[in-house]
Amino acid sequence: MTGLRIDSYDWQGGHEAMLRLGPDHAPLAIIAPALFEEANRTRAFTLAIARALATHGIGVAIPDIPGQGESVLPTDRASLADWRAAFAAATAQIGGQVHGIAIRGGAIVDTDAELASRWRLSPITGQTVLSDLRRASRHATVNGEPSTLAGNRLAAPLVAALEADEIFPSTGGPVRTVRVDTDPRPADRHVAGSPLWRRSEPANDPPFAATLAADIAQWITSCGG
Amino acid sequence: MIFEGTHEVERAVRAVLGDVLGLSPERTAEFTDVTPLFGALPELDSMAVAGVLTEVEDRLGIVIEDDEVDGETLSTFGALVAFAARKTAV
Repeated sequence: MTGLRIDSYDWQGGHEAMLRLGPDHAPLAIIAPALFEEANRTRAFTLAIARALATHGIGVAIPDIPGQGESVLPTDRASLADWRAAFAAATAQIGGQVHGIAIRGGAIVDTDAELASRWRLSPITGQTVLSDLRRASRHATVNGEPSTLAGNRLAAPLVAALEADEIFPSTGGPVRTVRVDTDPRPADRHVAGSPLWRRSEPANDPPFAATLAADIAQWITSCGG
Repeated sequence: MIFEGTHEVERAVRAVLGDVLGLSPERTAEFTDVTPLFGALPELDSMAVAGVLTEVEDRLGIVIEDDEVDGETLSTFGALVAFAARKTAV
């Protein structure tokens, strides 16, 4: 097993960092992290899932999404099409059969990637991503600019694309959805754990991460590894 | 005001506050109708208010319009439960 290393990937619009953990060979998985503030709240948790997957012998990649996380691209130059193109390029660069893991809004980013399967934790559509941002900014002190939502400057095309994203597009291939047990919406499995993406402060839940990693490992095996 | 299912609403609201604000079950178990929330819990800032409202919507299957929410809605635990119970009764 190999430890955490910082790799990178190229896509048509630039160059982004990509964390890698575990082996370089199959089974391989790529994580589409949560978006905006939820990404900060779930950063440690996402890494805990990745580390646990590595102990299951799964090689994991976590690419930076353009205009998100540590990306140098300003958020107001990001578009949904670019997110999807970048994630698809990162997946292609890993090569071979790669399984997708989407956390929350990550589920709208992985649609163009060639993935062997898709595992989703409490996925939300672009429309929900946008309404969460709007609600957060309505209850926060905003500095007036309509394009600034909860501290994020968003380009009009991104706002429009999120607004129009109301259902998960059919991507083909197997999909598994997991939600926390307090969430009544349909899922393949409900797991006891905290919705850390709602926490006002970043937090982690290692037992929850371990349960999810075990679920993902079993799922990837059932999808042919 | 007793609504059918108010007990479930109360339990859900208690759990949401624990989950969103990162409070222990022991701490949220002490909440009564008159426990002050907004302005009294440092964890409950404006960002957290958005998280609480969205999570209450998700768990109870209700829709909360932001203009229905004012200072009173989150003033006490009892006020928030009553607000959510009214929405579930609609």
